[in-house]
Amino acid sequence: MSEPQLVEHFFRHEYGRLVAVLLRRVGAEHLDQVEDAVQVALVQALESWVLRGTPKNPSAWLYRVAHNSLIGALRQQGNQQRLLDQFLAPVESEASAITTDDQQAQERGDEDMLCMLFVSCDKDLPLESSLVFALKTLCGFSVPEIAQRLLKTEANVYKRLSRARQRLGQHRELRDGLTAEHYSDRLPAVQQVIYALFSEGYLSSHPDSAIRAELCDEAIRLAKMLSEHPATQTPDSLALLALMHLHRARLSARCSDDGALLLLEEQDRQHWDKYRIAQGLQYLAASASGSSLSRYHAEAAIAAEHCLAPSFEQTRWDRIVENYELLNHVAPSALHQINQALALAERDNPAVGLAHLEAHEPPSWLQQSYQWAAVKADLLLRTGEAEQAKPYIQQALENAPSKAVRQLLNRRLQS
Amino acid sequence: MPKQLYLCIQRSDPQAMSGGEEPSPAQMEVMFAKFNAWKEQFKEEIVDMGGRLGAGAVVTSDSTIDGPFAECKEIVGGYMIVETETLEQALEVARQSPGVFPGASVEVREISKT
Repeated sequence: MSEPQLVEHFFRHEYGRLVAVLLRRVGAEHLDQVEDAVQVALVQALESWVLRGTPKNPSAWLYRVAHNSLIGALRQQGNQQRLLDQFLAPVESEASAITTDDQQAQERGDEDMLCMLFVSCDKDLPLESSLVFALKTLCGFSVPEIAQRLLKTEANVYKRLSRARQRLGQHRELRDGLTAEHYSDRLPAVQQVIYALFSEGYLSSHPDSAIRAELCDEAIRLAKMLSEHPATQTPDSLALLALMHLHRARLSARCSDDGALLLLEEQDRQHWDKYRIAQGLQYLAASASGSSLSRYHAEAAIAAEHCLAPSFEQTRWDRIVENYELLNHVAPSALHQINQALALAERDNPAVGLAHLEAHEPPSWLQQSYQWAAVKADLLLRTGEAEQAKPYIQQALENAPSKAVRQLLNRRLQS
Repeated sequence: MPKQLYLCIQRSDPQAMSGGEEPSPAQMEVMFAKFNAWKEQFKEEIVDMGGRLGAGAVVTSDSTIDGPFAECKEIVGGYMIVETETLEQALEVARQSPGVFPGASVEVREISKT
């Protein structure tokens, strides 16, 4: 691996997992020391691996170094003998078990991750602060990525992050374990973290990579664990899992051979993963119980309509519009309205879509986003208002988060 | 013959499935139909209330839930419990459920009453 790849892969992927594994063992009150230890391990990896080559089992190597560094820090603090006794014993078996090649070890890492997600989604914290903390500390997101994902300013993300760290640092509940009540109280927040993780993989805000399948797969593994645990196995969790499988099934068809993003219209539907679609539908059927419909149900239904459509033209747009209406009832958002406008443009005609868009004045954060500008430009172009579309095309291209998205918009709006 | 409980566990991870026959569009529509039947109730609720439905739709039990796949109301996360007289019958119920498609396997186990 080259140096930039190392940084990219390990800072993103291993960082959060290592923090979760260590934090679960020593408790959230040692968050600072745990993060320091993980950073030490990553810096050492950079120096040592570039010089001597990547070890056979990079994850275990990182775990061992981070673990030793953490022990050193805890010793210096003194008065941590009980913790050290508990923590020192299992090091060798843990280090060998932590390899990501081994499925069992991956499951154990996922378990630690999920546990820490529940710890970080503390009820005393505002939901958004929990999301910021979990995405930053456990999922390896950068602050700009979180800002983009949660539609916040970077300053706001920093503020939330520092408050969440402070609050979680006072925590001792890991020692006693989380109760079933904790799990059910915090489930909606944990679902949102997993959803955000998946969304980032589905269409990345990262400047160089449009799709990051590994994030999607991690989110699916975490949601699958939710669907298997009695305390978290709710219809919403199953719908979330269905939604992710249905989107994941189309992932490889969303890129052309040269890595450019493809529009739904352009995708070769032969390449959609039918087994994965069937699996998503299976979870969707299992989610169809209870007396409430969550946003995940509505979103999964939309994804299923796309997966089952034999072609773009033959898509049941009437049902997609209906599902967007449901979605807007359970989770009102201007973002959903712009998607509904596109569905209306297909069901009826572009003028109807445009009218819907104009009837729903977007909040300022959305008005500045590339998505709103791109939809507005697209619908104006399709109703023959090329002149009016120009400033929106400009705005969409300027605000596109990545090169791949900019290329896609260019192709769609300037051809 | 007294009725007996059987646990049907579905084994259907993507790797395991990819060896089998690709699910057909018709089979996938059947799987989707159960969800859509359940979803109907929420649609009506929204219409009834003139679109004023807020977050977290609370809906009373409605006969539209009981679509053609009543036995599947018990399916949660890849397993279901069926009550039949024989193992053969339990297998048949499992086979008929919309969650089962080509390539997926179902393991059926008798649940001991003691």
